[in-house]
Amino acid sequence: MFEALSKIFIEPLQYEFMQRAVFESVLVGITCGLVGAFIMLRRMSLIGDALAHAVLPGVIIGFMIAGKGQLAMFLGAVTAGIITSLLIGFVNRNSRIKEDTSIGVMFTGAFALGILLVSHLKNVHIDLTSYLFGDILGVSNDDLILSGIIAVVVAASVLLFYKQLLVTSFDPTMAAVMGISTGLVHYFLMSLLSMTIVASLQSVGLILVVAMLITPAATAYLLTDRLHKMLILSVSIAVFTALVGLLGSYHFNFASGASMVVFATFVFLMTLVFSPSQGVLVKYLRRKRTAEKHLSQDILKMIYKNCYDQNKVRSLRDAVTFKELAAWIGAPERLITKVIDKLVQENLVLVDNDKVCLTTAGEKFGLRIIRSHRLWESYLINEKILTENNIHSDAEEFEHVLTEELLDEIDEKLGYPQYDPHGSPIPQKNGDV
Amino acid sequence: MNNLYQNNVIDIQNLTISYHKKPAVRGVELQIPSGKIVGIIGPNGAGKSTLLKGILGLIPKDNGLVQINGQPVENNLKKISYIPQKESFDWDFPVVVYDVVLMGRYPHISLFGRPGKNDHKKVIEALKKVDMLEYKDRQIRYLSGGQQQRIFLARSLAQGADILLLDEPFVGVDAATERAIFQLMRNLKARGNTILVVHHDLAKVREYFDYLVMINQRLVAFGPTEDVFVPEYLDKTYGGRLTILQKSEQLLRENN
Repeated sequence: MFEALSKIFIEPLQYEFMQRAVFESVLVGITCGLVGAFIMLRRMSLIGDALAHAVLPGVIIGFMIAGKGQLAMFLGAVTAGIITSLLIGFVNRNSRIKEDTSIGVMFTGAFALGILLVSHLKNVHIDLTSYLFGDILGVSNDDLILSGIIAVVVAASVLLFYKQLLVTSFDPTMAAVMGISTGLVHYFLMSLLSMTIVASLQSVGLILVVAMLITPAATAYLLTDRLHKMLILSVSIAVFTALVGLLGSYHFNFASGASMVVFATFVFLMTLVFSPSQGVLVKYLRRKRTAEKHLSQDILKMIYKNCYDQNKVRSLRDAVTFKELAAWIGAPERLITKVIDKLVQENLVLVDNDKVCLTTAGEKFGLRIIRSHRLWESYLINEKILTENNIHSDAEEFEHVLTEELLDEIDEKLGYPQYDPHGSPIPQKNGDV
Repeated sequence: MNNLYQNNVIDIQNLTISYHKKPAVRGVELQIPSGKIVGIIGPNGAGKSTLLKGILGLIPKDNGLVQINGQPVENNLKKISYIPQKESFDWDFPVVVYDVVLMGRYPHISLFGRPGKNDHKKVIEALKKVDMLEYKDRQIRYLSGGQQQRIFLARSLAQGADILLLDEPFVGVDAATERAIFQLMRNLKARGNTILVVHHDLAKVREYFDYLVMINQRLVAFGPTEDVFVPEYLDKTYGGRLTILQKSEQLLRENN
């Protein structure tokens, strides 16, 4: 067992290139996790993807001028990123073209320029594939230093300007009133974004870097309601997925960027389903539970209404069949049977073969629902919120959620009425009809 | 407080603002007295919100001058608070009530500074004043329309703003909450605050506002509500829109 684990996790670390790759993954996770959260919250995912592509000509031109070196690449990429975001803004302001289109035009144009330059430079060797798709196992010490500096700059910026980033993202108008230049913050973030893309080139590659920006952030967003927690989660998820992606790259020879992003997407989907607060599963279960609760209350109400209201018959002989009940309520018999099983456990109904009648406790409960329904109807009509014709369906909804205190309040407000708008008697609080 | 002369907090001279080269506010002259609740009414597209944003310097003006307490707006940023229309917020943003109110303290905190003890104290006080302390840890999506409005008022309180500008605060709020919010505004006024409210519903104008700005791109009338909320000016403001006019005249008769 230990040997197997060691083979997967420890053994790779004896190689120096793997040690560098681990550091690189952590640095990229920190950088992408932080910047990505703000990119996502400011709905700039598209511009993130655009900038990633648009840095290519900058990288190549830096390469042409200064030869292979981290600094030239960095300066070229950041310059290209900033020029592109300025151009996008310029097209926006000075033409009728909307932002998504101007982003589309500018980044594809810049990307094409980059490809064009690469295809032109036959005598210099540039490994385009590693820029496009990432090659984390080939990270050099210089790459690592560059990523490290960028991670420090990004982390320090977020810490120092947390207030400004929060308020311009949430309420740009208030930020402007406070005298914060929203434009300045925007371009500052664009610079951080360009740096983040450079830091991620070697590991994720520019085609997929947007995923490392927004997928961990989106996952974190599903898990918390506060920005600082979202940032911490976003960084943790990004680091974790980058490391798992790296292992995939080492053991199975996957392209490192793709490996990270596929795992990040998997984590996102899992969170989407299982998140304790926002998860699809939790929401589904909650809805199902509510529906069942409503159905069980409807059953008690219907049995009471149809068997007791008029004739006051109280024996199992005159009980209702499941089939009749299903027809009255308009729910499938299978579901009715399931809910009635629960009602039996709660001692609210008695069942004999396919027939069902109320216990004393069940009677009380049924009566309460009827009271709730009829009081609520009277209230809505009294307050002229609804007319008599469309009232029934609303009362069907609300009768299930009204608390005893609220019912008493309505009863008092209406002056303790005896009959509802349809002329049916409203049961009193003590159970008298 | 001073009976000898009217103390004006906001002084607007010849203000003209355009949206996409079309004038939205033209040549507006206004002196807003301090310590009053002032309503801004007018038909859709009359430049009500634009006027507010113009006062704050949020949009470039073609012409004119705005002064707060006799100084440029930039010198008074801590004193002013603006509450935008509800639609302008992303209610799913990862902030809880407390975080939003704390933003009101940001103008008082230095560039890199963090909120201190005093800031947190002010936030708690503000939340208590609007009766929202028990909701402090709730994400803002899970509040009713009235509660959402109240936390933004709390933010202005925490900021310690003297001048509040509100853009349609009563949209999507039930009658009882509207009354409660208005009561809050009255309390603020009693403490000497000046409150400008863009408003679209003519029904409560007399009850709510001490002064009224009636605008349809140009300023139609400005003065104490009882002086200017009359058929003549309503007609000019809402020119031609008879249904609204008839309704408001009827309201006038009811109110008198």
